[in-house]
Amino acid sequence: MRLLALLAALAFGGAGIVAALPGSSASAAQSCATQYGKGSHGDGWSASEALTRSFYDANGATRTSNCFHLSVNKHTDLQDHERITVNWTGAHVTGGRSLNPYGETGLPQEYPVVLMECRGLDPKDYPDERVPKGAEAVSPDTCWTNTYFQRTNSADPGQGIWEQDASNGDDTDHIQGIDPGQIPTDCNVNANFDYLITPFETGKGKVYAGCSSQSMPPEATVNSVSIPNEAYAFTNTDGTGSFPFEVRTSLENQSLGCSSSVRCTLEVIPIDGITCDNTDATAPCNQTGDLPPGQVNTGQAPQDAVAPAFWASASNWERRVPVPLDFAQPPTVCTVAKAGKPVPFYGSELLDQAALQWIPAYCLNKRRFNWQDNVMPDDAAFGLMQGGTAAAAEVSGRGQGDTGIGYAPTAATGWAVAYDIDKPDNAGQETTLKLNALLLAKLLTESYPGSTTVAAAHPGFKTNPLSLNLDPDFTKLNPGLDVSHWSEAAATILATSTSSQVMDEVTSYIAADPRAMAFVDGKPEHDGPYTMRVNPAYQKMRLPVDSWPQLDTWQFRAAPNSCLKAQGTSMPPYMPLLANPMTSMQLVAQALLYSWPNVETGCTGTGTTSDPYQLGRIAPQGYGNRFMLGLVTLGDAQRYGLTTASLQAASGHYVAADSAGIKAALSLAEPTSKLRPFDLTQASIRTSKKAYPGSMVVYTAAKTYGLATSTAADVAQFIRVSTTEGQQPGRGNGQLAAGYVPIAKTGVTKRLYGQAQQVADAIAKQKAPPSQPPTGGGTPPPSHPSGSQPPPTTPSDAPTGGPPSSQPPAPSGSTSPIASGPIVTTAAVTSRTGGGLMLALIGVGALASLGVLAGRIALWRKGVRWAPRP
Amino acid sequence: MGTTTVIKRAKPPPPPPIVRQARQIRPGEAAETLYVVSSACTIILLVVVWVLVQMLALGRLSESRAQHLLFNEYRTQLATETAPTGALDYDGKPVAEGSPVALMSIPALGVDDVVVDGTASGDLLDGPGHLRTTPLPGNAGTSLVMGRSATYGAPFAKITSLRPGDDIVVLGAQGRVTYTVTDLRRAGDPIPAAPVGTHAGRLILATADGSGFLYRLRARDVVYVDADTTKAFPSGPVYPSVPNAEKAMQHDPAAWPLLVLLLAFLAALVLAVSIARRHVRAVLVWLVAAPVAIALAWAVTDQVMRLLPNLM
Repeated sequence: MRLLALLAALAFGGAGIVAALPGSSASAAQSCATQYGKGSHGDGWSASEALTRSFYDANGATRTSNCFHLSVNKHTDLQDHERITVNWTGAHVTGGRSLNPYGETGLPQEYPVVLMECRGLDPKDYPDERVPKGAEAVSPDTCWTNTYFQRTNSADPGQGIWEQDASNGDDTDHIQGIDPGQIPTDCNVNANFDYLITPFETGKGKVYAGCSSQSMPPEATVNSVSIPNEAYAFTNTDGTGSFPFEVRTSLENQSLGCSSSVRCTLEVIPIDGITCDNTDATAPCNQTGDLPPGQVNTGQAPQDAVAPAFWASASNWERRVPVPLDFAQPPTVCTVAKAGKPVPFYGSELLDQAALQWIPAYCLNKRRFNWQDNVMPDDAAFGLMQGGTAAAAEVSGRGQGDTGIGYAPTAATGWAVAYDIDKPDNAGQETTLKLNALLLAKLLTESYPGSTTVAAAHPGFKTNPLSLNLDPDFTKLNPGLDVSHWSEAAATILATSTSSQVMDEVTSYIAADPRAMAFVDGKPEHDGPYTMRVNPAYQKMRLPVDSWPQLDTWQFRAAPNSCLKAQGTSMPPYMPLLANPMTSMQLVAQALLYSWPNVETGCTGTGTTSDPYQLGRIAPQGYGNRFMLGLVTLGDAQRYGLTTASLQAASGHYVAADSAGIKAALSLAEPTSKLRPFDLTQASIRTSKKAYPGSMVVYTAAKTYGLATSTAADVAQFIRVSTTEGQQPGRGNGQLAAGYVPIAKTGVTKRLYGQAQQVADAIAKQKAPPSQPPTGGGTPPPSHPSGSQPPPTTPSDAPTGGPPSSQPPAPSGSTSPIASGPIVTTAAVTSRTGGGLMLALIGVGALASLGVLAGRIALWRKGVRWAPRP
Repeated sequence: MGTTTVIKRAKPPPPPPIVRQARQIRPGEAAETLYVVSSACTIILLVVVWVLVQMLALGRLSESRAQHLLFNEYRTQLATETAPTGALDYDGKPVAEGSPVALMSIPALGVDDVVVDGTASGDLLDGPGHLRTTPLPGNAGTSLVMGRSATYGAPFAKITSLRPGDDIVVLGAQGRVTYTVTDLRRAGDPIPAAPVGTHAGRLILATADGSGFLYRLRARDVVYVDADTTKAFPSGPVYPSVPNAEKAMQHDPAAWPLLVLLLAFLAALVLAVSIARRHVRAVLVWLVAAPVAIALAWAVTDQVMRLLPNLM
């Protein structure tokens, strides 16, 4: 194969007969050596493959040659759902792009690039084209597709394109690709047609025929929550292309079964046309496609010879470029019994992606404890830590009543606004975006109507731009985007509904901007044809807040949406359906991964009892027409390959969410005392031209006294390991994931590193304070109880969760005084009635007896009988 | 009340001595007001004395009888292994308020009590009560038991004299647990860290305490005694929350309906007595009315107690 390609390249390159096809590269074809290997930097990987097709056209025998070059940004230590960016050059331009490249909806294209995850190693990657002994080799049977349409083709006898494939030796067997004995009866295979069926074989050896929906593996579900794994990506007119390919592991797809122990391969198959030896230029296998290059397919069927449906046909399969994939150990590796008793920490979602790589480094190391990290709102996590349920909390700010708590900087990361925005006219995805506090305020306050009908009906929306992309404030910052369409997805930013320090920071960012706050307070923004006013429901809202409330209760009574109409007066408020926040930033990242807005105004059903109206999520956005924004963690953005927006720091300066921006922000952070979080305010970021406003530091907060010795040792170990070994950037176990800035002994993170070590020492020592708790600067610890609150009736009123042995730790919002250790004092519970009643009774009794005595004496002196005779 | 005072006044001998009889009050006379005030004071005195006597003396009788019955009941439950381990009894039904849940003895004070479930003012008339949002005494976790300090037997009157190291022995459904007192806490004192370990338990005793003259009768501030153990039993389910009436120093407004009814009976009794006295000899009337009056007075005071802070 390689020899052939080389010969072909020499022969045809030398002769100068290079087909003048778009996407073919003359210089590359001259020296296109098939070559696979590691990329030049980092975890990348690249490959070159000469693509040749020989067929007959009007001029007779023709041969085209493309030098396909592929590179990926990472391919080892992959996590479930991780996205690999695949870039290529030298492919044939795609004709009739599909709006949705995933699964079967990507089939109607000509010359796409097929990307599939396949189990096994590819012989092409090995010198003698043989996989190492004992390893499974990739075949079309181990490649995943979500539907049987992608595995099964039928045609009139002898007319199947695979039967005319010269690379296949013009094999015209009735049934190809599968042993006819394996075909189940429900596949309707009959003698009137010829078939190419590619069965699917699971990791355990079970074979699914793949010729009907019943004969597909159980994970192949249509319309499931996640989108199909395989994709049919398009190539631009210059022969380049790019696609973020999302890998799946056995956690999600057991049948495919890729894991840290089962090797897999990403097969990239550039569709270049079936090799044809039929001299009739009009034969189907000599077709070269008729869908318009660079345009969206409006519903035409592609020509078979250049269609991706026949990826398994020999010509196409031989052109595959294999990218070896290597998966990291999943977090479940630590749930086995021998990993030891888990010690859970609770807290910020910002730590998620770092934790994914850190966890195995603890449980697989005998000298370390079994660390667990659970996501929980910062306040609740802090409460659990104070209550003794959790050893430590991962927080980004100070908690309430934190006397005696040490905060060790653990990760420098932050939040970002990620987006899926396509440039108009299929010019690809927008890769730079600028946003500022005003635009975020407009999005969060649900001040874009999203449609003309809502604009007309909702109070205060008449002169507002319909969605973000029409707002002059946005278009001035980001010229060249679509300014003619509007959508409900483009009217909102997908955020989270749960309480978190991140939302507190986002809203602090808005609160620090006078123009944004003027808008929130009701000052109209005059811009071009629009006069934009804040949504009245959010007017004069006080910021910051740690969870974004849904305040707009306006019902869209005149809705054209029949699902809403059917609900009559009990219909849900409309604007919250647009904003529809997720419960975690991980889910926001996933929505962006699939370009699937969480706008809940979709309507299905016919209104009959058997098929009632159902309000639901709108469809995923098509490639070329995407416009959605979401609030994500920097770790997720890097893991899933999301594009993130630059945010305004000082006026006129927009800073990207990269390590330079975070480092600049960290240099502004001021220490408050040796155990407390650093002070990093949005006000100081606004003075900087280089600081990224979304920067945040995650601290490990734990008690410096009152912890059990073993727990204290675990927490100290965690801080020490995570700030040394855990800060080495990399993709392996125990290393620091992308999206985090290493906290190092030198540079701007020096002070963070120093404090982490001090806090680790303090926690390890567990030395009780002499008399006064060691308070440093900052605010004095809140007294307990506060006078205005209804007095806590008994100090032990709070441990309501039951015994620690019988219940899992539950998040408890309030801290329990009893369980909070010595830092909390006994509350005063008094009763004036209790104190005074009996004395008052004695007093009243004494007075009454005096009264009786005095009355009797007075009556006696008057000579009156003291009591009437009966 | 039926006393007749005969007042004799000596006069000079020449006129024959006149014995002035005490006369009836004439309607409208100024002395009538004096008479009414004096009678009212008498009634007030009677009521106050009765209430104080019942709180401090008769209540003791009532409590010790309740303890006797509860002890028999709990003894039977322990013997038949049907005593509850949490908020639910062996049938899976919620444990009734006021039923026995543990035996608690404090050798240093000579206290030996049955702990009832519930801490509302009415529950504590029968003895120390267990706060239902905490594990039962003897079970792992932090349990809280409240008791009265002055009235109705005053089971917790002397717990403020407990010293660190004193034992508190709890006998519950699953066995005997010995707690060791660690400290005595008043408002502002630091709360010790929660006990660590799966079998660790803490028992907190709470009562009210006063200071100064007659401090025993001035139950104003809540005071706590902490006692820890390392060998507690696993706990059953506990209530997630309790009504306000079951928290420290709260009263139980649920007593009002019954109290109003009983007061109406008392009023009816007064009416009946005054009518009967016109027709029947006073001695006979009181012979019949007195037991009824005492019973009603007792019941009314019990209800009034429910309207007073639960720890006094």
